Amino acid sequence: MDDLLAQFLIEGRDLVADAQAAITILCDDAGNASAIDRAFRAVHTLKGSVAIFAMAPAERVLHATEEVLERVRKEASALAAGDLARLVATLDQVDRWIDEMEATGELSPAASTIADDLLDADDPVEGTTAEPSGTATTTPAWAEALIAREATTLALAETTLTAFRYTPDKDAFFRGDDPLALVATVPALAALAILPSGGEWPAPDAIDPFACYMVIEGLSGAPRADLQAVFRLVPDQIAFHAIDRIAEAVADTAQQAVTTLRVDAARIDALADGVGELVVTANAFSTVADRAEDVDSDLALAIRAAQADLQRAVGSVRRSVAAVRLVPLAPSLRRLPRLVREIASELGKQVDFTLTGEQAEVDKQIADGLFEPLLHLVRNALDHGIEQPEGRVAAGKPSSGRLSLDIARDGDDLVITLRDDGAGIDPDRIRATAVRRGLIEAEAAEALSEASALGLIFLPGFSTAAQVSGISGRGVGMDAVQAAVDRMRGRIEIDSRIGQGTRFTLRLPTNALTTRLLVVEVGADRYAVPFDQISETARVGSERLMPLGEGIACVLRDRTLPVLSLGGLLGGADCSSLPARLLVTRVSGEPVALRVDGFSERIDAMVRRPSGLLAGMPSVAGTALMGDGGVLLVLNLPELVVA
Amino acid sequence: MSIRISGDTIHVEGPAQVADAEPLLSALLENPSRTVDLTGAAHLHSAVIQLLLMLRPHRTGNPNDPFYVSQIVPLLDAGQG
Repeated sequence: MDDLLAQFLIEGRDLVADAQAAITILCDDAGNASAIDRAFRAVHTLKGSVAIFAMAPAERVLHATEEVLERVRKEASALAAGDLARLVATLDQVDRWIDEMEATGELSPAASTIADDLLDADDPVEGTTAEPSGTATTTPAWAEALIAREATTLALAETTLTAFRYTPDKDAFFRGDDPLALVATVPALAALAILPSGGEWPAPDAIDPFACYMVIEGLSGAPRADLQAVFRLVPDQIAFHAIDRIAEAVADTAQQAVTTLRVDAARIDALADGVGELVVTANAFSTVADRAEDVDSDLALAIRAAQADLQRAVGSVRRSVAAVRLVPLAPSLRRLPRLVREIASELGKQVDFTLTGEQAEVDKQIADGLFEPLLHLVRNALDHGIEQPEGRVAAGKPSSGRLSLDIARDGDDLVITLRDDGAGIDPDRIRATAVRRGLIEAEAAEALSEASALGLIFLPGFSTAAQVSGISGRGVGMDAVQAAVDRMRGRIEIDSRIGQGTRFTLRLPTNALTTRLLVVEVGADRYAVPFDQISETARVGSERLMPLGEGIACVLRDRTLPVLSLGGLLGGADCSSLPARLLVTRVSGEPVALRVDGFSERIDAMVRRPSGLLAGMPSVAGTALMGDGGVLLVLNLPELVVA
Repeated sequence: MSIRISGDTIHVEGPAQVADAEPLLSALLENPSRTVDLTGAAHLHSAVIQLLLMLRPHRTGNPNDPFYVSQIVPLLDAGQG
């Protein structure tokens, strides 16, 4: 793909997201001046960006939107409801066009008609902008040129600047005027340019040394009144223009250009890999120190001291790299509000969607992986959760459903909550469906708690074509959500009340760089298990292991858990050492105890995604390089148990 | 008169008035490769600055007025190799 287009796809979407964020504020407070400003700047810059590509329809609609926002800004009035709706429609459309540009490199032939439709809806608004009041507020061409020329000065300016253009007449020198001497008295002069008044200086042999050919333009940080005082004797030759926020928008961009750097994500990933290995190398000194201990304890002490220093330094680098990889979630989620509107209208449902906390910063891997599962949950909520308007009214609810996505940090975790006030999920229907599809025995289904029964919807094969509508379907069930969340080493919980709504809670680690692992022993082998998959560990005597059906169970904290042997699950001999060491994990929300032969050290390590043959085994989360150079398989317990 | 010609150099000394524009123009048209030395120049009339901008001769030395040094000299030097 063309570099320029690639850049545009990123920046264009950022701008759409920025404008949409402003709209969210305007929905509650249509007169919010800073939100109007923000929307204006984003639309203004976006218009400039689309102009580079064959996106004339986008440019047209953005231009009309910009004019509406400009008028509202100048009048310091509130955005009319109709304007707000058109703004939303325009941004949604531009967003779709950006998708088209990405997919095909051009806009579909229908784009022009779509733009016409959007503009038709704008007609009454255009009528009002045509009033003469509009003309006084436009930026004159000379000021536009000056803003472009002095972008750097404007970017660094701390106050509002006033531009001036002084056009002495041709006889000025004859009359005894010295224009530059006058300009020398301008207070707080920030920039100066002397330009030929006709666009070009005369040829050397045509120069009249006493004729004034110059136009003087400049920027001053002084109040306009002070400038008017300086030029009071030449009022007909002077023009002023306050550099308002249009220029500030330009300036903002210029400033950002110096302070932020777009780096290919792959390079950051490579850096993170390097740091991960550095962490492992630093850990390796423990082994070296242990060996040195046998020979020379002073030497061992020195090695440990050096290791402590090294680990501190590595820790600091690791935190810096982790911080670099942190990205706000907002850009990944920017399409959600539009998709909610589209899906709801396709289903003939009314929905108020709110999104909060999307500014939370998470590791890039999480931000990248989150959109698909969230979209799936949102689709599901719109399709199966929120009822048709008439159904809602009959149930005594407002005709518009409410769907909210709230993102919050909880310690090192990111907690994402999707709530709807729809029909809720009936655990009995879920049980029945699961039994009908042969996913679970009727007896076992009955034994499940309500929460666990709801968890059945995440089983592969639960949603099948028969019940999948065009919206929620697309060939994947909720098991795809579960799989995606597992990949991010997260957890998902459902809470639902019939008639009142459903809540999905996703809990994800925000920092994916290194993972806390517990090393466990199974026979003579060692495996690593991510800490976030472990609810607890326990040592129990053989008397507490009770046969239950074909398996073994154990009562732990007043709950009966199935006990599975990790050795057996891995295809080897069952774990039999005593006391039994149990590692409790959750599979589809239900606790399961895994028996191992021993708990070994806890380590922080970089988990590499499985590759080659291992890539096809969902029960392997990856590999971790150990301090002694050995490699451990990192297990994905829920997958291992289900498989 | 503040214009003094010495070989290939045109010295602009003291305050340069509008009247200095004509001899400066003649000197530069006569020999465009002459260098204009602004060392010792004080006030420079707009007509003189305008000539320097139009003809862009080699320039050396700075006037002893901060406004000209900070605002005008950069304009005279802009675009010169």
